[in-house]
Amino acid sequence: MDKDLNTSSKRKLNCNDESKCFELLESILDGEESSGSKEILDEKLAKCQPCFEHYHLEKVIREVLKSKCTKHMVPAELKDSIRQKIQEIK
Amino acid sequence: MSEVQRKKYSDKEKNSIFDHEFMPHIDSMYNFAFRLTFDEDDAKDLVQDTYLKAYRFINSFEKGTNAKAWLFRILKNSFINEYRKKSKQPSKVDYQEVETYYNSDNVDYNMTSDLRVDAVKDMLGDEISNALNSLAVDFRTVIILCDLEGFTYEEMAKILDIPIGTVRSRLHRARNLLKDKLRSYAENMGYDTEEE
Repeated sequence: MDKDLNTSSKRKLNCNDESKCFELLESILDGEESSGSKEILDEKLAKCQPCFEHYHLEKVIREVLKSKCTKHMVPAELKDSIRQKIQEIK
Repeated sequence: MSEVQRKKYSDKEKNSIFDHEFMPHIDSMYNFAFRLTFDEDDAKDLVQDTYLKAYRFINSFEKGTNAKAWLFRILKNSFINEYRKKSKQPSKVDYQEVETYYNSDNVDYNMTSDLRVDAVKDMLGDEISNALNSLAVDFRTVIILCDLEGFTYEEMAKILDIPIGTVRSRLHRARNLLKDKLRSYAENMGYDTEEE
């Protein structure tokens, strides 16, 4: 907790418009915002602690989902089976 | 998907589209099917049905356009129309969770703020995967499409036949539910939460 306070001493501890800010941050993480979003993001992360925390938590969740929800191996016979069925309906 | 002019492909063209534009997505399709059905055989059937439908309706696919989104939309519709009905788990359960969540007036952003980045990083693949799998299918689907498959909001809107605004809000709710699950795992792992 102490460590958090030290690193966040320059940020305001309350966000005036969490709902709107968080929606924006999530859109940016999803690659949906473009014009000027980099500047907005930098400013929010520098000045607002709730935005900073929300952004980093959302970011890491996206990362672990992508890296840890590994793909299930496609059963070997599936491709052949599909091709065979296609031949039948041709 | 937007209505496209029906094509009249030759057999050779059909095979080329099928091999070069459809088949390369089979890994993603199977993964999506498995995470919808949780059953290897059902997932295989679902993927196979999807590819057969794709071949049958290949003339309504415009060569060189977004095959992956087109295929995912067919798979999602097949799942809803055929597999969800025969699923052992009644879909009522899904809606209950959805309704409770949609109907709560107060979306509490602080609710999950005590989940720490480090705790999430330390979680095992199984825990992340189980947390995702535990979400109601509508919420699970948007996370799979967005985070695992990298579809844009616009593509997701087309795949799911819902407005972009709904994609956005459903994703937000899905992620909050996921964070609830992850937080309870974190507590079990013995991570301190800030509330305590």
